[in-house]
Amino acid sequence: MKLIINEREYEVSDENPARVLLWVLRDELGLVGTRFGCGAGLCGACTVHVNGVATRACISPVSMMEGARIRTVEGLARTGPDGKPVLHPVQRAFLDVQVPQCGWCMSGQMMTAAALLEQNPSPTPQQVVDAMSHNYCRCGTYCRIKKAVLSAADKLAQETKP
Amino acid sequence: MSQSPPDKKSWRPTRRQFLLGLGVGGVGALALGVPAMQLGIARWLDKGNFPSMHGKLDPTVWFELLPDDRVRLHLPKIEMGQGIHTALAQIAAEELEVPWEKLEVVHASTAHGPVDAGATSGSQTVTGLFQPLREVAANLREMLRAEAARQLGVPADSLVASGGTLSVQGQPERTLRYGEVVAKHTGTWEVPEKPPTLKPVKDFRLIGQSMPRVDLEAKLTGQGVYGYDQRLPGMLYGAVARPPRLGSTLRSANEGKARQQPGVVAVVTEGDFAGVAAESRAQAYAALAHLELEWTDGESVQQADIDALTTVKEGEGVIVQEEGDAPAHLGQGKPLSAEYRTPMAAHAHLEPQAALVEVKPERVRVWMSTQAPGSIRKQVAKALEREEESVEVLPTHIGGGFGRRLDARAALEAARLSRATSRPVHVGWNRTEELRQGFYRPPTHHQLRASLDESGRVLAFEHHQASGDVIFSMAPEVVATVMGADFGAWRGGTLQYGAVPHRRVRAQRVRLPVPTGPWRGLGLLANTFALEGFMDELAHAAGEEPLAFRLKHLGEDEQGRRWRRVLEAATTRASWGTPAPEGRARGLACSVDGKTVVAQVAEVSVEAGRVRVHRISCAVDCGLVVNPDGATSQVEGAVMMGLSSTLLEQLTWKDGQAQAENFHDYPLLTMADAPDIDTVFVGEGETPLGMGEPPLGPVAAAVANAVFALTGQRLRSLPLKLA
Repeated sequence: MKLIINEREYEVSDENPARVLLWVLRDELGLVGTRFGCGAGLCGACTVHVNGVATRACISPVSMMEGARIRTVEGLARTGPDGKPVLHPVQRAFLDVQVPQCGWCMSGQMMTAAALLEQNPSPTPQQVVDAMSHNYCRCGTYCRIKKAVLSAADKLAQETKP
Repeated sequence: MSQSPPDKKSWRPTRRQFLLGLGVGGVGALALGVPAMQLGIARWLDKGNFPSMHGKLDPTVWFELLPDDRVRLHLPKIEMGQGIHTALAQIAAEELEVPWEKLEVVHASTAHGPVDAGATSGSQTVTGLFQPLREVAANLREMLRAEAARQLGVPADSLVASGGTLSVQGQPERTLRYGEVVAKHTGTWEVPEKPPTLKPVKDFRLIGQSMPRVDLEAKLTGQGVYGYDQRLPGMLYGAVARPPRLGSTLRSANEGKARQQPGVVAVVTEGDFAGVAAESRAQAYAALAHLELEWTDGESVQQADIDALTTVKEGEGVIVQEEGDAPAHLGQGKPLSAEYRTPMAAHAHLEPQAALVEVKPERVRVWMSTQAPGSIRKQVAKALEREEESVEVLPTHIGGGFGRRLDARAALEAARLSRATSRPVHVGWNRTEELRQGFYRPPTHHQLRASLDESGRVLAFEHHQASGDVIFSMAPEVVATVMGADFGAWRGGTLQYGAVPHRRVRAQRVRLPVPTGPWRGLGLLANTFALEGFMDELAHAAGEEPLAFRLKHLGEDEQGRRWRRVLEAATTRASWGTPAPEGRARGLACSVDGKTVVAQVAEVSVEAGRVRVHRISCAVDCGLVVNPDGATSQVEGAVMMGLSSTLLEQLTWKDGQAQAENFHDYPLLTMADAPDIDTVFVGEGETPLGMGEPPLGPVAAAVANAVFALTGQRLRSLPLKLA
C-alpha cells in the first residue's frame, strides 16, 4: 500500500489494514513527531492532516489513507531556497510566544491550528477557542496557544499580502 | 549528597551544608521525646527547608568545552517543561562568561555527567542549584584564566573574561578563546584553592532576562526525542499483563498460545510478571489475551471505603505546628468550625510511561522519560542483579512529570523483556494502563476550628488534616515511624497568619488500600483550599472584607511583610475593591510553598449551572526571578492544573479498580475553560526560590471564595459543584 506523507511516497504493508495510522507513522516509518496520548481520539496529541483536514491518527485505519495526502509535523516546515528548513508560521508563532512546556501535545496543537488557518485564515478569538478546545495540554499552556494561533494568523496575512 | 568528601581528583567540596531530612531533629531533639522531635522536624520543613542532594561539583563533570568554542552543560535535573534547563544555562553562562548562543544544555547520562541522588521534584532545581552551579562555572572560568595567563606569560589578574575569551586588560590583540586555551593545555587542570568570587547581582546580564527556552525548537519541529520515541535497530515492543483488580497477583501463569501469535518473539513469566515481546506494539498487546493467567481475587475496594478511612479522628495524628495554646482558647469567644474534602486525582501527563532498554552482557542502557535517573539506574541494576556501574540511564525529553515519573516500572518491564530476548525492548504504556496502574494524589479531609474574640479577631485556629501518603509511600517505613506525619501531605497546611496567637496544626496519616504518592505541589492545593476557604468563612463571620481581614492577621515579621506584599499586589491587579463586571464576583486566597509566597484573585461567574473562571490575577514572591517569561509560564501552567482539579477532576474507585479508563471518564480542562491569567512578580533578594509548584496553591480556594461571594454557597469539597 502506498501512502503519501509530506509529499513523499512510502510503501507500507497491506497486512492488518485495520491498524491505525499513528503506529504506522511512528513505529513503521519512524515519523515519531506525531505523538500518542490516548489511542481513542480524545486528547488530540496525534493530530495530522489528511487532505488538509485535521485528523486523529490514533483512530484512523491505514486502509482509508491510500492515495490521501497526509501531512505530519515533520512536514509543517518547508525547505527554503538554501535547503534549510523554514518554519511554518504556526511554528514560528509558537516559538515567538514560547508556548511549549513539556511539548508532548504540541505537534497535535500545531497541526490543529494549521488546519484551522487553512480553512479560516483570520479566525476570531472565539473561533480559535472552538477549534482548539479538543486538544489537551496538561502543562496548561492554553492562553499561550490561543495567543500564538492568533499571531500566526497575522503572520500568514502579512505573508500573503499582495 | 550533603558534603562530598575532599577528593584530590575532584572538586573542592562545597562550603554549603545540606541537611538531610532525618538529621534535622538530631540526637538532642530525641532526648525531648518523639512528639517534640516530630514538631522540630516539622518546624524546620515548614520554614521552607528541604532535604537536598547534589552530585559532585566537579566542573569537568558538568561542562564540556568543545573545539569550536561551544560549551556543553550536562545537567542532572530533568527538563519536563519547567524551563529549568534554560534558567540553569543562564546561571552557568553568567559566571562562565560565555556568549548565550555558545552554551548548549543536555540531560546528563548517569555514566558521564553529574548524577542526582534524588529526583527533579519539589520546585527545588533552580533554588537548589543556583549557588553550586555559579560556583562550578566560576571555578571553571578561573581555571581557564590561570591557564591562559600561563600561556600568555602574564599575571592571571591582568586577564579579563568576557564573551568566551580571555584578554589582557588594555591589550585586546592579546586574546585567547576558551577553546584555544583548552586546545593548548597539557597536563592536569589546577583547581583554584580560593573560593571563586561571584558576580554581584547588580552585574547580572543574563540572570533576570527572559531568555528564550533552549529546548523549544526541538519540541516544535517534532525532532525532540521522548522516552516514547526512542528507537534502536532490531528493537522489539513489550506489553505486560495487568492485574484485574487492586492487589491481585498471579496465582499461575502459562504461555498458553501467546508464543504462537504473529510477531511474538518471547513470552516471559517470572513470579508476578507476565509479559510479551513482539515485533510490533499491536502484536505484543494482542498476544497478552492468549496468555493463560490466574489472578488472586485482590481487594474489592469501594470509594465509600476510601472516604470512610480518610476521616479526621479526634486526637490522632502528629502536631506539626504549635503556637500558643489553641485547645485552651478554641472554646472562648465565638466558635466556628467547618470540614473540607478533596478527592484523589491522576497526573494525566500526556506521554504515558515509556522506556527503551538494551540489556547486553557488558552493559545495560536505559532511555527513559523519568524524573529520577539515579533511582532508575539503581532499580534496574537491582532487578537485573547487576552492578550499578554497568547500567547507564540516558534521560530523554519527557512528556510531563508532575510526580508520576518517579515510577520505574516501564524500565523494569523493558529490562526483563530485553534480558529474555537479547534485543532492545521498548515498553510504552497505553492510556488505560497509565490511568489504572498509576499512583494518585491522595484524598484529604480537613477539620477546621477557630474562635473569634469580641473585636472579630481570630483568637485560636486549629487545622486537623487527614491524608493518604505522599512521600511516605516512596520512603522506607522507618521514615514514617520517625516523622509520624507525612510532610508531603501537610505541605502548605500550617497557618502563617502570625497575628493569630493560638495555632495548632495536626497531620494524620491515613493508610489507604489504594496507591497514593506525589502529585504536583503535594498537599499544597488541598491544604490551601481548606485553610484559605476557612479564613474566608471567618472573615464573613466577623463581618469583614476578606482582604482587610487577612491583612490584619499577618505578623509583623518578614513572613508577614511578604504575605502583605503579594496580597496587595494581586488585589491591585484584580481591581479588588471596585465592583466586578455584571454577573461576576471575586475571591482571594494566599499560600506559601517552600519559601515562595503566592496570592491570587479569581473572577468568576456561573453559566448554565457551571462555575466559569474568567480571570486569575496572581502575585508571586519567589525571590530573584531568573527568567521572568519562564516563571510566568509556570504560573499559567500551575493555575490551569489547579483549576482542572477545582472544577473537574476526581478519581474514584469501584470493586478494586480506578474508575478511569481513558479521558472520556477522566476529562481534563481545555482551552474553552482557560481564564486570562495575569502574573506579577514582587519578590526581592539575591536568591531564587521555588517556582514550579507554588502557584498551584491558592487556585481552588480563590475560586471557591469567589463562588461564595457570587452565590452565597460555601463549597467545601473539590471539584466544586453548585447546589
